Amino acid sequence: MKKKIALISSSVLVLLLIAMAIFAPWLAPNDPYATNMALKLQGFSTDYPLGTDYLGRCVLSRLLYGARVSLFIALSVLVVTLFISMFVGLLAGYVGGIVDLVLMRICDIFLAIPDFVFALVIVGALGGGIRNMFIAIVLVSWVGFARIIRNMVRSLKESTYVQYARTIGVPKRKIMIRHIVPFVFPQILLLKLIGLGSTILLISELSFLGLGVSAPMAEWGMMISDSKTYLMSHPMLMFLPGIMISFTVLILNWFGDALREAMDPKAI
Amino acid sequence: MKKLSSFLLIFALSIVAACGNLEDKKQSTSSNPKSVLTMSWVKDIGQVNPHMYAPNELFAQAMLYDPLVSYGEDGKIQPALATSWEMATDGKSYTFTLRDDVMYSDGSKLTAENVKRNIDTVVDNSAAHSWLEVVAVIDNVEIIDELQVKINLKEPYYPFLQELSLIRPLRMLADSGFPESGTTKDGIAKPIGSGPWILTDYQQDSFAEFTRNENYWGEKPKLKKVIVKIIPDAQARMMALEKGDIDLIFGSGQLAPAEYQALQKTGKYQTMISEPSSTRILSFNTTYGVTQDKNVRLALQHAFDRQTMIDYVLNGLEQEAYTLFAPGFPFSDIKLEHYTYNLEKATQLLEDAGWALESGATFRTKNGQTLTLVIPYNSGDQVHKTIFEYLQSAWREIGVEVQLIGEEDQLFKMRSKTGQYNLIMNDTWGVPYDPHMYIRTMTGDKQIGYYAQKGLAVSEQLTANIGKVIRSTDEGQRRALYESIFQTIHEEAIFMPLSYRTNYLVANNELANLSFSKQQYEVPLKNFEVK
Amino acid sequence: MGRFLAKRLGSMLLAFFGMTIIAFGLIRVIPVDPVEAYFTMNQIPISEEGLASMREEEGYNRPLLVQYSTWLVDAMTLDFGESFVSKKSVTAELLQRFHVTLTLAATAFIMIVTVSLTVGIWSATKRGGFIDWLSRSFIFTLASMPSFWLAFVFVYIVALKWGLLPLMGWGSFAHVILPAGTLALGFIPYYIRLIRSSMLEEVNKPHVVFARARGVKESVIIRRHVVKGILPQLVTSLAMTCGGLLGGAAIIEIVFTISGVGRFVVESMFARDYFVLQGFIVMIGGLYIVFNFVADLLCALVDPRVRIKGDGA
Repeated sequence: MKKKIALISSSVLVLLLIAMAIFAPWLAPNDPYATNMALKLQGFSTDYPLGTDYLGRCVLSRLLYGARVSLFIALSVLVVTLFISMFVGLLAGYVGGIVDLVLMRICDIFLAIPDFVFALVIVGALGGGIRNMFIAIVLVSWVGFARIIRNMVRSLKESTYVQYARTIGVPKRKIMIRHIVPFVFPQILLLKLIGLGSTILLISELSFLGLGVSAPMAEWGMMISDSKTYLMSHPMLMFLPGIMISFTVLILNWFGDALREAMDPKAI
Repeated sequence: MKKLSSFLLIFALSIVAACGNLEDKKQSTSSNPKSVLTMSWVKDIGQVNPHMYAPNELFAQAMLYDPLVSYGEDGKIQPALATSWEMATDGKSYTFTLRDDVMYSDGSKLTAENVKRNIDTVVDNSAAHSWLEVVAVIDNVEIIDELQVKINLKEPYYPFLQELSLIRPLRMLADSGFPESGTTKDGIAKPIGSGPWILTDYQQDSFAEFTRNENYWGEKPKLKKVIVKIIPDAQARMMALEKGDIDLIFGSGQLAPAEYQALQKTGKYQTMISEPSSTRILSFNTTYGVTQDKNVRLALQHAFDRQTMIDYVLNGLEQEAYTLFAPGFPFSDIKLEHYTYNLEKATQLLEDAGWALESGATFRTKNGQTLTLVIPYNSGDQVHKTIFEYLQSAWREIGVEVQLIGEEDQLFKMRSKTGQYNLIMNDTWGVPYDPHMYIRTMTGDKQIGYYAQKGLAVSEQLTANIGKVIRSTDEGQRRALYESIFQTIHEEAIFMPLSYRTNYLVANNELANLSFSKQQYEVPLKNFEVK
Repeated sequence: MGRFLAKRLGSMLLAFFGMTIIAFGLIRVIPVDPVEAYFTMNQIPISEEGLASMREEEGYNRPLLVQYSTWLVDAMTLDFGESFVSKKSVTAELLQRFHVTLTLAATAFIMIVTVSLTVGIWSATKRGGFIDWLSRSFIFTLASMPSFWLAFVFVYIVALKWGLLPLMGWGSFAHVILPAGTLALGFIPYYIRLIRSSMLEEVNKPHVVFARARGVKESVIIRRHVVKGILPQLVTSLAMTCGGLLGGAAIIEIVFTISGVGRFVVESMFARDYFVLQGFIVMIGGLYIVFNFVADLLCALVDPRVRIKGDGA
């Protein structure tokens, strides 16, 4: 029962988060890009519920639009890496042999370099910007999951029903699609959902370093980095985007936990 | 469990060992704290090689080394290591008489031979100094006697003495400072100069300690020691000042205008703003995209709201600029009509040039091309970023799209060199470089100034005039040439001056006699005092 | 045992060589020509002849394989060339800053181990209680916060408003506490969860159940059987974390303006100082091998089953 409550309430929060991102244009009280120098660095008011930033832009509107960027990138990373990890994992696990060996050694390499450093080096090599940041995050995120899938596939291969299917002469591809993918897919999707929070953190870290989105787009990490100058005089500018990131990550993590407990209390 | 605790123990030991390292780091202050000043700086001072550029910091080079002649407060050339000099009538050679009481910090004396060695090593590495005409123009150096040298030039060059006074690369290093290879392009052995300060202690990326040179030939510094702490982050610098770890933050490079004002508002510090030192300008690229169109350049000039930018981005710390150089600069008192802020006029100019705003569109187009400006900026510079973000939003109102590309220093420089931009931020350099050196960069390949004029119909004429003005030995002719050059620059609207840059400082109330130097990259520590 | 270790070592060495290929390849895929970058950094005007002679000198026009092998041989002797920016040896530059990052990472490591073991074991034994819930919620909330932001919040509140600890910079042990704590926080929840769930699993294993049936004291059971059972997994994870700590230290060093390796690497990245990045990747690779090898060794010592099972993948 307790599990159910956790799952339902966290799903509601996740849905609210997504709704906030989708309906940002209707929810935002002001144009997030409209500057008004005469009104810069204002406190809370009815026109600007959370004040204005160093260009006189509405902070609340920018926070709402920021949700779009973070969630959009994080979800696209999820979809793309889901396919890459599935492909590599299935290939390595099912074909085995030299293919497995080579792919797993490549995974070793990727695992040996810390995520942040690796992403940094890739963005450094390709240059900043939203597209390159996306590529970098995809490149560091697929690998752990590919290995998990590979291990799953290998144990499934030994399971009786796959063994049986093989003996009766079901073609390899069909076994994959019929017996292995349907089993692996939901588990990996679950793991990926759990990892959403850390993807959002990575996005904000890169943006904080000025390697992510470019101006004037509203992004939480960049908003934090832009308000560094005003830490002493206007600390709220720095606190608010961080609170947004924290809430988003917290909600996603909680949702992931609840989902995991609900689906399989013993997994991982 | 046992294993776990031994595991922990090993880590605990390793950390204790590592921390031991931290404690012995010395952050010394001398017995009399009154005569010691501690200030912050953004970056490490480097090796302090007098003949090279980054990562050597200008202010440190100026503290340690002396030039033959110096640039005086009034813009006149003053004696320094040379007591007197004489120009040959053809302007092609200068003879300098050196002071006989100059002693380097290693105890050796300044000689004509040492001066020749210094100049030769710089001229030998001329590839590194191609931006600087003085190095290219030196033919050879003759030793006349122990204290007399003659520098022969390939051709007359009027700003010769001015450029000798620069902080780098023509200042003098003692013989013992030269490396084994004999040429300073490989670095130096020791930073041994004859300047008012001696580098007595140094830890990379942490601090540098300068001690007064008791044998200095000129007026000695009043302070005994200056400790420079390397603090790369502006917030950390402000906090260090607040806690009393440092006494002084000098220079606009260390504090953004908002930060300066935040400190000023506390009322706990003395703050100071300098006279205009250089000009903040936005430079067009006349060889690239939409800014080849003169009407677009003119329209943007009229759509440039300096006042708002100065009031709100620069917090009123600088004065608005309509000319490339402040009127007080040499040859710069020229009457030119200002391009004033006038959005109607700007819109009209764009309409006239065929940049039309289709109904429903946000941005103007002409023959299917969108009116897009590519503006790269150094992503580390918050002020530049703010200025451009403001312009991006302001120019959207008149249908001009601004594509901002925030790039790291290195890539930003590369991009500026390849000319892949429409508009770029580019400060002039201040005295003694302005105006002649800034103007000269307009003829140099791959320079920002070059891209500003290369696409013009009058480019050839302008380049020829710039070549002439630098060679001219006749003051009247020079004036006339400068006037024509400034006229062309203004008419073609290739630069958008924003403001005359100022330098500022924040210090605690213990300090006295604070001031700025004419050269914006110098910190006149010699005059500073502690009450 | 020997075979197992040899096998693990072999696969780690392979990974290491893979990393050297990445490190080497890096400089070929970047949009900035290293030779041109060198010229720009040193403010030497770019001319075609200059570029060509530099390429010749540096061997950039030889076949890739030859270049790679010469580079690798140099790298093995810890020679990664000179930094564009400082013109000092990359190895010297990295080593000079390394002890700072190591202190930071080691302190964070100790914090991770002590806090997560305490909270993890405690919350597993007192499962379901209010305190268990509260302490875990608190730590999980902190862990959802981006470390760079949390660092600023700490600086603002603890250092600036309360004046308890030094704000930024480096020098005494007090300087280490905030950055190390911020760094550790990102990892602690993972370990609490790991310890808690593997302990809960361990508690139900036959030998533990039997021990309890025998009447062995609960504290002894926890110490003797349960903690020992979770150690191998914990040690392996901690070894992986060591690399993550070094990476995570970068952003912390930036916020706290500590001049460690991490910040140096980020700055080098901004300056496109690729030799530094190459050196750093190879160094991380070396450390990865060392950490993992030590972890494997420890696991094999603690748990004989690991030795026999062998397959570490």
